[in-house]
Amino acid sequence: MPARSIMHMDLDTFFVSVERLLDSRLEGKPILLGGTSDRGVVASCSYEARSFGVHSGMSMKMARQLCPEGIVIRGNSSNYMKYSAMVTDIIKESFPLYEKTSIDEFYVDLSGMDRFFGCLKMASESRKRIIKETGLPISFGLSQNKTVSKVATGEAKPNNQIKVDTGLEKAFLAPLSIKKIPMVGDKTYQLLSNLGVKQIRTLQQMQPEMLEKVLGKNGLLLWKKANGVDTSPVIPYTERKSISTERTFDRDTIDVAKLKGILTAMAENLAFQLRRGNKVCACVTVKVRYSDFNTYTLQAHIPYSSADHVLIPKVLELFDRLYNKRLLVRLIGVRLSSLVTGSYQMDLFSDNEELINLYQAMDKIRNRFGDRSVMRASGIQARSIGRGNPFTGDAAPLLANRRS
Amino acid sequence: MKFIVSTSTLLHHLQTVAGVVVSKPVIPILETFLFDIKGGNLIVSASDLETSMTTSIKVEADEDVSIAVPSKLCMDILRTLPDQPITFSIETDSNSIEIHSGNGRYKLAGQPGADFPKIPEVESESSFSIKSEVLLNAIGKTVFATGNDELRLNLTGIYVELKNDNISFVATDANRLVRYARTDVAPGVETTFILPKKAANLLKSSLSDDDSTVKIDFNSSNAFFGFGDNTLVCRFIDERYPDYNAVIPKENPNTLLINRMEFLNSVKRISIVANKTTHQIRLKIAGSELTLSAEDFDASNEGLEKLSCDYTGEDIEIGFNSKFLMDMLNGMNTEMVKLELSTPNRAGVLLPQENEAGEDVLMLVMPMMLNNY
Repeated sequence: MPARSIMHMDLDTFFVSVERLLDSRLEGKPILLGGTSDRGVVASCSYEARSFGVHSGMSMKMARQLCPEGIVIRGNSSNYMKYSAMVTDIIKESFPLYEKTSIDEFYVDLSGMDRFFGCLKMASESRKRIIKETGLPISFGLSQNKTVSKVATGEAKPNNQIKVDTGLEKAFLAPLSIKKIPMVGDKTYQLLSNLGVKQIRTLQQMQPEMLEKVLGKNGLLLWKKANGVDTSPVIPYTERKSISTERTFDRDTIDVAKLKGILTAMAENLAFQLRRGNKVCACVTVKVRYSDFNTYTLQAHIPYSSADHVLIPKVLELFDRLYNKRLLVRLIGVRLSSLVTGSYQMDLFSDNEELINLYQAMDKIRNRFGDRSVMRASGIQARSIGRGNPFTGDAAPLLANRRS
Repeated sequence: MKFIVSTSTLLHHLQTVAGVVVSKPVIPILETFLFDIKGGNLIVSASDLETSMTTSIKVEADEDVSIAVPSKLCMDILRTLPDQPITFSIETDSNSIEIHSGNGRYKLAGQPGADFPKIPEVESESSFSIKSEVLLNAIGKTVFATGNDELRLNLTGIYVELKNDNISFVATDANRLVRYARTDVAPGVETTFILPKKAANLLKSSLSDDDSTVKIDFNSSNAFFGFGDNTLVCRFIDERYPDYNAVIPKENPNTLLINRMEFLNSVKRISIVANKTTHQIRLKIAGSELTLSAEDFDASNEGLEKLSCDYTGEDIEIGFNSKFLMDMLNGMNTEMVKLELSTPNRAGVLLPQENEAGEDVLMLVMPMMLNNY
């Protein structure tokens, strides 16, 4: 196979950059963006704030202690979506094969373009165009595969670019920390650090079989990535595999009636999202995190459905089985997966015409007046659950701290 | 002791009862056939504790014996041997079975016949007879619509309703329903039971399509079917069947009359491009034109066909699972069929244009909830 050319683009401190565009007074100041309550987490922070030791995913309380002069902004996701769409439009116009992996990250396959313009030239020109037209700083890494490009982008930041020439991938990766490999999270990092592996160089020199013993199947994959080998293609459009919603409470609660009300509202909203996206699901998962940070999930398989009266009782039943600790609850969530495009197959005995007509009428109202315009009374107390349509083809607007 | 039997005869009989045997049963002996020889008759039994079948064959035997023979090994040997008389030598002391063919011998380890679970005896409270072809047809027309959901056990069988002068068979998986009634059978008793799907399928594969008689004896928990050399004993599903009559729509103002094969073939073609999981297709009827369409967004396939039909009623657009429609149309015999509809969120009823003598067929299918906005 001839060497490919794959570019990874990432908007620098995207949320902060957007806020600065909207309010120039924020330039050059440390900014903490995220939940404003003590329970909130930092979704994004400016480079000025990073020098205080703040990083995304950190709790807002801690970030404030580290960086007392930081300006805390709650942020507005619709602005970010708007700017993200602007960048996407430019990329869509310039390149035929691109993958949007999150609100501010793209992979572009430039293979073969060397014969015409030169990949690096094309890449830098499109970067300049994005900076000029949107005013947002963006960095990219260019190499022959996705992993190396992503690492290169990380190295290039802020607002710069790096090209890793074919054949030099191993040498480029060798001096870096193993943390820079996209697969390595906190757990793997700890595990490998305990084994004395800190630099990618060490990983490269290890026997793949040994890594496989330590990490299982992922060990082999990690070894390949460490050696700059990654054959995964750029996938133009990724189908949503699940939809979910979760809620962290400002104050831990043991109020089961309130929890059930929120779960009902969540399930009702997700069921509506399914119907709007013309989907049915076959797997329901409920998640509970107690105040001691222990998280439990329970899932159940059901016949394909998108009906409230199937999903809501299932969610509540799973919650009843899951919630058995008599501890304060910090977070609850609902997730629907095993999605398939299609409509709900009505049941002879448990459904009737009135019920289906009711769903269709409620969906119509919601489509016109918004997600939360009509709902079950038991879920009315739950605020801020309704969200955008998850099936429009865009990647989910994942917060920085929840990225894999 | 020894007995002689022809491979093809024995194999044929074993195949009749082999469907009862389950792989990995709760007790290992259920993986065997019970060979019971009594006065020149070989009676082969198989059982899974719920359903049991026996079949009898005339053999040349010198004494009576009872032994459990490993079913798979025995069938595999018989299947590969050419048609010839073979000799079974059975040693009850060591529980071994030796099969002698023209140029070889096979020794299998059996188990004592006394260990095989006892098959319930006929202690009937009531009984009636039905023609084999009628029962076969009734099961064939209904069994496909039974459910598979272990959580709705009552739907996993055929509901049989006996009346003094008629009999009806009902099957539903909660998404579709078939009611097949015969007015030319007079059971002479009034009762109901749920015949498990497995027993129904076994009857379907072993009943002969002729006017021989099937004798059915039953009590409150079991039924005994006797036909030819065979008997089948099954335990009923002890659950309450839902009130199916309540869900059959009574008023269906919109009626579509259409050629069955044309409709079936169109549905077949359109379903090729429908989503592989939901099998959803859309029927749109306007005037005397039926438009069938399907799209699979996940694979970006779509299809559309137009058929002329005879339709009275308001224009309608309704979604169905194409698998259900095909099963139902396949289950009909008449040239023309009637599809009665009311609204897009109510069941569609499929009927033959005219019922054959003694028959009354009704099939019903729930639509899929389409969103049109």
